[in-house]
Amino acid sequence: MFDVVVIGAGPAGVNAAIDAHDQGLSVLLIDEGRDAGGQVWRPKSASIIKAPVTPTEQKGEHLRERLRKSNIKRKFETRVWHIEKCGDDGWIIGLSGPDDEKQVRSKAVIIATGAQERVIPVNGWTLPGVLGLAGTTALMKENLLPPHGRSIVAGTGPLVFYVASEILRLGGTVTAILTLNSKLDWFKELPTMILKPQLLFQGLNWVLSLYLKRIPIYWRTGIKTVEGDNAVEGATITKVDKNWAPKQGHEKYIPCESVCYGQGLMPEISATRLTGANHHYDEKLGGWVPTIDELGRTSEKGIYACGDNAGILGVTVAPISGKRAARAVIEDLKGENSGAKQSNLRMMQKFGRAMTALSISRSGLIKFIDDQTEICRCEGITKSDIDHEITHGAQSHNAVKSGTRCGMGPCGGRFCMDTVAMLTEYHTGKTREVIGLPTARPPLRPVILDTLSDDLDYDDLPIPGVSPL
Amino acid sequence: MNVIFDIAVIGGGIMGCGAALRLSEGGMSAVVLEQSDIGQGASGVNAGTLSMQIKRVKLMSYAIKGHEMWEEMGDRIGFHRTGGYTLAFSDKEADLLHERMTMKKEAGANIEFVSPDKVISSEPHLTKKIIAASYCPDDGYANSSLTGHYYRSRLKEHDVSYMEKFGVTDILEHEDGWKIFSGTKVVVAKRILLAAGGWCKKLAGMVGVDLPIRARINTVSVTERAPLLFSSILGHATGLLTMKQKENGTILIGGGWQGKGTPEQGRGQIDIKNLIANLQLAKFVIPDLANIRVVRSWTGFEANVPDFYPLAGKLANMDNAFILACVRGGYTIGPYISKLMGDFILGKETEMPLFDPSRDIIEGRLI
Amino acid sequence: MNKDATSPVQRTEKISFQFDGIEVGAFEGETIGAALLRARITHLRDAPNSKKPRGMFCVMGVCQECVVIVDEKFVEACRSKASDGLIVNRVHYV
Repeated sequence: MFDVVVIGAGPAGVNAAIDAHDQGLSVLLIDEGRDAGGQVWRPKSASIIKAPVTPTEQKGEHLRERLRKSNIKRKFETRVWHIEKCGDDGWIIGLSGPDDEKQVRSKAVIIATGAQERVIPVNGWTLPGVLGLAGTTALMKENLLPPHGRSIVAGTGPLVFYVASEILRLGGTVTAILTLNSKLDWFKELPTMILKPQLLFQGLNWVLSLYLKRIPIYWRTGIKTVEGDNAVEGATITKVDKNWAPKQGHEKYIPCESVCYGQGLMPEISATRLTGANHHYDEKLGGWVPTIDELGRTSEKGIYACGDNAGILGVTVAPISGKRAARAVIEDLKGENSGAKQSNLRMMQKFGRAMTALSISRSGLIKFIDDQTEICRCEGITKSDIDHEITHGAQSHNAVKSGTRCGMGPCGGRFCMDTVAMLTEYHTGKTREVIGLPTARPPLRPVILDTLSDDLDYDDLPIPGVSPL
Repeated sequence: MNVIFDIAVIGGGIMGCGAALRLSEGGMSAVVLEQSDIGQGASGVNAGTLSMQIKRVKLMSYAIKGHEMWEEMGDRIGFHRTGGYTLAFSDKEADLLHERMTMKKEAGANIEFVSPDKVISSEPHLTKKIIAASYCPDDGYANSSLTGHYYRSRLKEHDVSYMEKFGVTDILEHEDGWKIFSGTKVVVAKRILLAAGGWCKKLAGMVGVDLPIRARINTVSVTERAPLLFSSILGHATGLLTMKQKENGTILIGGGWQGKGTPEQGRGQIDIKNLIANLQLAKFVIPDLANIRVVRSWTGFEANVPDFYPLAGKLANMDNAFILACVRGGYTIGPYISKLMGDFILGKETEMPLFDPSRDIIEGRLI
Repeated sequence: MNKDATSPVQRTEKISFQFDGIEVGAFEGETIGAALLRARITHLRDAPNSKKPRGMFCVMGVCQECVVIVDEKFVEACRSKASDGLIVNRVHYV
């Protein structure tokens, strides 16, 4: 039995693990990656022996170094597929990974699963060569490999400029940069961004490098359709109005081989939801978030949340929120007030919120989706299938899911959930909270049946007698 | 507030919707009150098995009628007749299989015993460790996920009112009928029918009736699309496994392994120990399942009373309160017994007898 | 910073694996997905319903678009390592 299991080894999770460990708690840190870093400081592939190190990568290296020195027990390349309450005896965590340990128990669980990408479906988004914007960063950080051919980079917030400048740095080609934001959107956030001059400078540097290379930047513009038969051949882009709805007659075709696009990040809440903790909807934090106190305690005893999965506030807030979660666990398990001093979290949060503000969904985005656009990539469910289900009476996310299969595929609805809710909101006028989310169910990721447990003889199967007939 | 319904049906599953449709056909104005969405409780999350081999002997004639009704619903509800095998892997299980299936056959089910070799020749991916097996060509499945979609459409087609997100918080007597509350919302009706499965205990309590209703928490899992491994539905002599591979290649695994929680606490959760045992048993039966990925496991509440027979009739001998719940094999039997229930409330003679909730309910023998 | 960033990347030894019978080069320790992308193979799978081509999308093991078959198992190409002589195949649905 561990005192605390930390799920996710990004900046929030690692800081939580180190602080809990330093206070004498027994800690297990789990991540599906090959090392710590999370997505923001994603470790490089084992195939890379030596490579130039950027300042961002340096921070990741520093985090990994601190962890290595700590002798905290850790499991990498290991997935958590289940989290289950065991009465008052803490939590049981189902694992799927390279070692034989299939389950661990813990008094407390700190969930630091980070973010997931919001991608508004458009025609052609399922073609090979279309990558999520955050997905593109993952590809490049791990492999130092840019998307192939000419790329269009599109989306919201700072990520667009980061991705474009990284593609160039790694020797790729960017043919156009599209952002739904206007220059004014950015200007409005400027007073807040000045709070973090280093990051502001970094951002300006990205944009400058793009200007210098004469890469066209299209403001208030998005991907309308991705064209191609068996792979990306180009994209039709469109100007948008202030609600981000495509503007008729302002379209343009650009040939390319890759499209990297996304509309911001959402908290990855499937793990906290599985525990039964309460959640609420807050678009300023990226969408659905666990309801937590200021140290990260959820409504479920023993479950804590920190980092982007507790609200998209970015990498400046993540380490502090991780430390706070550790403090909460220490207080709750040892019954002592750690008395740690308040950090300048407010200022960091303000900055994080400003960045997230650039990606808050706007009502016009729904107009990007055609009737025949596939919304559920796994099951091939189109917008008209979903519209039909809603206009024929389905009023909640669960009802749409059951009636259409939307979200029943292997991704577990992670890439259609937000769109389904958006459509339900549009047709019914109900709030996101009323529409709800599909009931959280394990496994958190598809899991090969044989990896769930060791082999058992038939005679050893715990068959509990004859079932009532 | 000024509308007074002839009957309020509490519970929007197969039982409640089926009864409401019949009542409406018979001229009563009915409203279905559902705490979540239509068809999202046990009716919508069970494994969809339509098997004669897992029905109780005394309920067999109801199951046969129910099965016919599912077949009529056909594509709208994803009906498939595939035939089904029940398998035994030890002498003890083989004896159990013979005893049970012989009784079910006598009760009218189209069941035959088949040799293990014959089973393997028609389902080559099955384990070779089968000792005995029975077969029913009528067995099959429907898509329980479509329950909500289907019944909501039927209610709309027949102009039967329904209210979703109407979690009943209190029921009070009102003149000759009832006032049903959901927070501040109120519905008035001359009669009530409780058809809310595991939630009926609480509802009956609201009108002062204590019923010995309990709930089992059954686990179901589904895999991603897999290569074709089997085409019949499969069961285990103990009843602790049901398996089917659907047209799209996904495999549903059930069998009544128990999860955690109570109807009052919400939807229930899986129990990791029982889930794994359930999946291991499935893998024992189809060894090639070992490599397949499970994408989702969930639970649903199956209500019962100690004798495992339905509660279907007047509630505590009242003339304006009824209950229809605790039907073992309720998915298969539901469309039919809810029709009978409708007839009963309409004052008609029912085609088959119902099950008086005021009987002496004693712990039953589980055959 | 820029000078550093453009200095050459040193990678592990080249290996090769088979994807649907085609020989694909990879650096030891990298993922199947990255190696295929470098080889400009982006079509990893056909969708079960539409039979239209799909490829790597989220690159972090969530979307399941890049699943391929290794040792009779479905694995995510973006997370599974290539190894010398590995046989990788496209998924074919029922």
